[in-house]
Amino acid sequence: MTYQIARKITRMLSGTVLFIVYLVQVNNRYQSGVLALEELQSLAQLMLVFIGIGIGVTIAVEIIFHVLYSIGIAVKESVKVGSCNDEDRERNIEENIEKNIKQEMVEDEMAKLIDLKSLRVGYVTTGIGFFASLIILVLGYPVFLMVNILFGSFFLAGIMEEFAKIIYYLRGV
Amino acid sequence: MGKIFEITNEIRKLRFFADEMTQQQLAEKAGVSRQTIVAVEGGKYNPSLELAFRIAQAFNVPIEEVFQYRVIEKKKKPDKKGEPS
Repeated sequence: MTYQIARKITRMLSGTVLFIVYLVQVNNRYQSGVLALEELQSLAQLMLVFIGIGIGVTIAVEIIFHVLYSIGIAVKESVKVGSCNDEDRERNIEENIEKNIKQEMVEDEMAKLIDLKSLRVGYVTTGIGFFASLIILVLGYPVFLMVNILFGSFFLAGIMEEFAKIIYYLRGV
Repeated sequence: MGKIFEITNEIRKLRFFADEMTQQQLAEKAGVSRQTIVAVEGGKYNPSLELAFRIAQAFNVPIEEVFQYRVIEKKKKPDKKGEPS
């Protein structure tokens, strides 16, 4: 698995987990009476908290992923070369590892094109979510549900964007 | 009759003749990731003109030796009577 695909899968998984946690939280709070259908202030607070958590989790996951991926490359390189005592050789291996890590993490023209195309998928998902939330409102459902669908569509757009990136990397652009 | 435009490449062959140059080495020379070279070589991604020139430069050959542009005539499927529509 290449660096880009592994990164996208990690992001997609973290986004999915966060979305599930949000849904569970909303459900629990609604069942316990903390959130009410008519009162949106608590829901807005929860959403703001989750936006903050989302940013924090994304940064943490990125850092952990890069550390683990770098360790993975270093281990692979060490296994390939084998153990040695010579200082020059050891330094050479270290340079090789650094070079490999940098090479794997290059953001080139294909990555940028895939990012742009996937962004479109994200926008479309958000648009569909917005449309669905308006329909929900027209059908007479509470605003509580509409706001949640809108918020969920943002989460879903992020997940769909990463999924589209994986597909583009596998199938080609 | 429909026409299909296809860009093919000889990167695999050129790598072989360049002392079995690895995709990683070519990626380093062209300044892109290995994944991009894999995609270009497999025909999954058509590189920009700049990258195409950089790849050709990595092999020290003119660009047309690396990439070829082909027009393929595509026959339309015959209709139910067996005649092409």
